[in-house]
Amino acid sequence: MSLLRRVLWNVRDHPKRELWFAWWVMVIFYQLYGVLFFLVTRVQPPPSPAWSTPMVVQWFDARHYGILAGFGIVFLISGLCAPMNALLAYSMRRMSVSQIFGYSYLVMYSLSAIPGMLVMAIAMTAGAMRPDRDPEMIRWLYDFAFLSFSGTMGVFMIGSLVWLVAILLDKNDVFPKWFGYLGLCNALTEFVVAPAWIFQRGVFAWNGAIAWWINMVVFVTYTACFIVLLRRMIVREDFGTGRLPDLPPKPERSEADSVGAMQ
Amino acid sequence: MRRTDGELILFWTLPAIAIIWVSAFFIFPGFLHPMSPTMSADQVASFYRDETARIRYSMILFNWFGVGLIPTVMLLAMQVRRMAHRTPILSYSLIACAGGPPCLFLIANMFWLLGSFRPERAPELTQLLNDLAWITFTISVPYLIAQCLLLALAIYWDRQEQPVFKMWVAHFNLLVAVALAPAAFTALTFSGPLAWDGLLSFWVKNIAIAAWIVVMGVVLGQSILRRRAEERIAA
Repeated sequence: MSLLRRVLWNVRDHPKRELWFAWWVMVIFYQLYGVLFFLVTRVQPPPSPAWSTPMVVQWFDARHYGILAGFGIVFLISGLCAPMNALLAYSMRRMSVSQIFGYSYLVMYSLSAIPGMLVMAIAMTAGAMRPDRDPEMIRWLYDFAFLSFSGTMGVFMIGSLVWLVAILLDKNDVFPKWFGYLGLCNALTEFVVAPAWIFQRGVFAWNGAIAWWINMVVFVTYTACFIVLLRRMIVREDFGTGRLPDLPPKPERSEADSVGAMQ
Repeated sequence: MRRTDGELILFWTLPAIAIIWVSAFFIFPGFLHPMSPTMSADQVASFYRDETARIRYSMILFNWFGVGLIPTVMLLAMQVRRMAHRTPILSYSLIACAGGPPCLFLIANMFWLLGSFRPERAPELTQLLNDLAWITFTISVPYLIAQCLLLALAIYWDRQEQPVFKMWVAHFNLLVAVALAPAAFTALTFSGPLAWDGLLSFWVKNIAIAAWIVVMGVVLGQSILRRRAEERIAA
């Protein structure tokens, strides 16, 4: 069987095609997210909220096209969040808990992308597009952008808690319980970021050791874990309603997982 | 006779919403000849001073009915659930997309209304509100693009004897997604087809949205009526 036929079969007929599609979208989304925010727009890691107005204007000038083009790509692709959140909601549907968990998570996280990412991108775009704008207004856009990005807390906090409770209650063994507790760490990062609305310097400011650096480490760890665990969930999925089967041993898995099922 | 379940009522809100949107579009003075990003702060401020009433009335109308398309998107998500898929991933994804476009549109809508609330304020402030309104309005495509791509994928994967939608509907959705894409990059230039009053970012984008509403409205109506007729025969 040729490689092309194998790929075609995986795309068209694989029994788990929808799950794998959502999983790959999630992987690609997080890769792009990192590249766009850190390398293209260079708005992360964040500059200081304590900067003077001329420094803020200079910061925008140094990133003019990066911000306009990079956030253009963000506007183009941020709909990728939808299949990603759908997969997370599906993980809750596969658990022994009420379907309310999955739907609540789906709606909260779909909502979160607007204040947490798109509003930031809009404010940054407005800040970069007219370098001759009154500097005080550019600084207001700078505050608006970083505070909406860091300071959108509740949807992520309550969202992680919804997932956490579902995992701890679940009898189908969809996720290990330790991941539930990692969700608590993620929820706590959203809790401790609140002082970013108050402080302009120090560990609690939006670029501080707590509000940014520690939170970023927790977020990246949490995300990396759930990407791996969701992959396992898809491999283990039997489309039943009871306990999710264990991960099959390696050689068997690779066969059951892709082309083997075709014969 | 079967009990009224309201599905058809929800469906027939679509043409009503479409008519209201088109009227509001024509009432807003900044759409038919879309405002240029090259306008100076003073020009923008005098536009808001001269056209205060029409800006307010059209945007209040949009504010009332901006979320009006959600029932239609939900009806589409329910059609996707009837497709030959093994998981509800794609209908979940459509539900996840449904709230995005009206939310973004309402943000733009508020900036326009704020601009017209005190048109005598400093022109630079009015220009800022106007920039935020136009940027938000023009880039409000991410969920619409995702919606079109997801619908297309759902239709391609719906391989059964009588698929819910025909294959051309999937191709049409891909085409709309492509037509919406350039608007995301509108802030890169103040003139030409990408600018927010340009051919691609304004006309192609908005005509694509209008065409999507009409075409998807018709195929959705057909699909709902066919299913209801089948259910009547079965009953």
